[in-house]
Amino acid sequence: MDDLDTPQIITHIESNLNHSLFDCKWIPCSAKFVVIGCLPKGSGTIEIFEISSGEARKIKDIQRANSFKCGTFGASSDVERRLATGDFKGTLEIWDLEKSCQVYITKEHTDIINSMDGIGGNTVNCGAPEIVTGSRDGTVKVWDPRQRGKPVANMQPAQGETKRDCWAVAFGNSFNDAERIVVAGYDNGDMKMFDLRTMSLRWECNLKNGVCSTEFDRKDIPMNKLVATTLEGKFHVFDVRTQNPSKGFAQLLDNSTNSGTIWVARHVPQNRDLFITCAGNGQVSLWKYEYPEQRHRVDQQGVAVGVPGTLKRLQRMVISSQPINALDWNRDHLGLAVATAYDQCIRVIVTTKLNLQ
Amino acid sequence: MEKAFEIQKQIRDNAKTFQTYLTDLQNWEVEMKRKEAALNGQFEQDLPPVRSKIKKEKPVQVVKKPEKRIAASDYKAWEKFDVDKACEDIDMEEVGPVSLDSKKSQQVKMEKLREEAQYEKERGNDFVKQEKWDEAIKCYNRAIELVQDDPIYYANRGLCYLKKESLHQAETDCTEALRLDPTYVKALQRRATAREKLGSLRSASQDLNEVLKLEPHNNHARRQLETIRARMGTKGAKSKSSPATTPSVESKPIAASKVKSEPKIKGIEDQKPLIKELSPDDKWRDGVGEDITVIKTVKKPPHLRSKRPLKTIPIQEIQLGKTEPEKPPTRLKIVEIDSDLGQGDTNNNDSSKTEKMEEKVELEGSGDKIVVNPTSPESVKLVTDVLCTEKSVKNMLPPVNSVQFMSEWKNLKGHDVARSDYLNIIEPSKIPTIFENSLESDILSEVLVTLHNNIDKFKEKTITAYLKGFSGVKRFSALAMFLSSKDKELLNRLLTHCKTIDNSTEDEIADLKNKYEL
Repeated sequence: MDDLDTPQIITHIESNLNHSLFDCKWIPCSAKFVVIGCLPKGSGTIEIFEISSGEARKIKDIQRANSFKCGTFGASSDVERRLATGDFKGTLEIWDLEKSCQVYITKEHTDIINSMDGIGGNTVNCGAPEIVTGSRDGTVKVWDPRQRGKPVANMQPAQGETKRDCWAVAFGNSFNDAERIVVAGYDNGDMKMFDLRTMSLRWECNLKNGVCSTEFDRKDIPMNKLVATTLEGKFHVFDVRTQNPSKGFAQLLDNSTNSGTIWVARHVPQNRDLFITCAGNGQVSLWKYEYPEQRHRVDQQGVAVGVPGTLKRLQRMVISSQPINALDWNRDHLGLAVATAYDQCIRVIVTTKLNLQ
Repeated sequence: MEKAFEIQKQIRDNAKTFQTYLTDLQNWEVEMKRKEAALNGQFEQDLPPVRSKIKKEKPVQVVKKPEKRIAASDYKAWEKFDVDKACEDIDMEEVGPVSLDSKKSQQVKMEKLREEAQYEKERGNDFVKQEKWDEAIKCYNRAIELVQDDPIYYANRGLCYLKKESLHQAETDCTEALRLDPTYVKALQRRATAREKLGSLRSASQDLNEVLKLEPHNNHARRQLETIRARMGTKGAKSKSSPATTPSVESKPIAASKVKSEPKIKGIEDQKPLIKELSPDDKWRDGVGEDITVIKTVKKPPHLRSKRPLKTIPIQEIQLGKTEPEKPPTRLKIVEIDSDLGQGDTNNNDSSKTEKMEEKVELEGSGDKIVVNPTSPESVKLVTDVLCTEKSVKNMLPPVNSVQFMSEWKNLKGHDVARSDYLNIIEPSKIPTIFENSLESDILSEVLVTLHNNIDKFKEKTITAYLKGFSGVKRFSALAMFLSSKDKELLNRLLTHCKTIDNSTEDEIADLKNKYEL
């Protein structure tokens, strides 16, 4: 019976674009997605595609002088649907895609924005709309689209410390108007968790390899699980419900696959215990986190300490010859995802039987 | 070979699921396009302020000085302490001051909510027309969630509950509607019906009088009032003994709604001038002449209640016979008023007894440890025991219908002797009319156990008469089928008792055996 319920991962649409691609995002409440990349001559592109009966049709193309690196719709409402982008020069822009113009430009970072995440756009009572950006200049900045020019929070190394390249950022724990957490992963394997309510560093650790991507299983609940992927084919799953003062969070390390850098991990929006990882050899793997019987126990000192669960690989599939550098699940349709890879292709991937998991 | 088939089947299945997925996807694409076209730029959201501004705004907030703690030994201060107000303050704190940015959008939002609620109400009304009560209740629930201060929604939901025979809920809803609009005739009528069915004839007739005051030509109300009066006449004795509490309990919401500015939860002092004639019971309840602070039950509809989890208070029992702690404790007398019973049917007049449960709760130093002092005679456990024996001796009235019987029967759970006393006051020949067709098999077996255990008590009315009475209940043959072997054993013993002690005839015994399917 087990075999019958195994999800299948199938490439539904594959389309070659003939330029480098860095990020892709579904436009909320639509069958459209944006692809962010750069042309060989170095100018950046934002392209909008619409899927209709088995093909991806390009319906819009925006070009700017500087190459874009990443984007998010997270801080925008489902009606406005404004895309925030970060580019190679460190500029944060928010786009009105209908009018193809920026509504917000700010350049506070001095180097490339590697990663960004948005929150608060379409959720109610989960705090202000905010965007977090992580940059090579070593800073992590939090922005509010309603405040021009200056970030609302800035996390940077103290004077004299070496600046590490920040590769990954993510929001989480935003279950009410006050609480919010940002995690940032750096090229030396550092992971830092910042509490935006108390404006303090809550936790840090080192994963030994550079952190390529990190994501909470849900942003708008008291933080539950955190996935961080690294170079050399490893990824860590943290149970972030229980924090032990000395040991931190319980974690689970998977290094079973020799698939090269794991570029990205993304949770299924409809089921927070499922996530997909995209590896350097073009393989995507679907994982299920299984909770332990008890998520925390009490240690000798009488302090709660988390218990890690187990991981089960549901399916894997090589869908590209080059690393897959970005993937985004569709929020409105279970099992639908879009991915970009360094082979200059966009792929619409469907995963069946996710509802049976 | 088997394996090959399996693999083939799997491939076929997978292909099929993929195909269905793709069709789904296509439908979804079309739907999304339609939805997207419907999206308009109109959108307003109530957002918390920008993070960096929060800090600037903070000093504006009035920082309340923490009030001085009242020392445990300061009796005077505790007496003046207004518990209701403190509770309200805490509730309000939770709601918090409304976000400053949203003042403008507030009105628009309210309007939208109203529209939405109106829509839900319309849907509910449609369901009512189709007599789908549960669906209708759901719609009204949503409407009430959106807009809390419209009496119509409550009254309509009350109607649905009434139709579903959820009488208590119906009554609460109508009361809520009347609180919002004291002249709402329909709500009054519905409450009257609910109360009539609940057996609170007096309060029902009061409601109807109110209706007639507002609409003197309301024939329906008049007729209903007449039937109720007739019923009251036949059971004059009973309605007289109906709890004196009922009128005062319900006059409160009406009075409160008339004077709009008055807070819903009132201190005792406020109430005294309102109700002039106080029965001794009321006096006792309000703590008149006694040196105590009365904590009243606060009635709030579920959606208005505080969402805070209840605080657990560790209760520590002191060994019986141990003397009181050395340091003079602060005494806070808490008077419990069982509001459910107070409003219940006429038969529960002895419920006022239960209300007299007094607890002496001592507040020790820190104030979060409450010690129940069992050395005092009013300690809860003792009281409940005493109560039930008291109940059994006096003040019990034979039930008129199965509802009354069931409530009393449940009340007496665990007190077999009291149950037998209760059975004893029921006239065996009336049993079929009391139960009609709502006797349940588990109740019957409980009755049998009680009869058997207290066989001597039923000498006058004879066990035979009781067994006959129960066998005369409608659809008894169906019940008899559910009797367990244990029940049958009891029956056999009872029948031998009938034969030997009650001197029943052979025919009677045979008839009973036949009816109980022995």
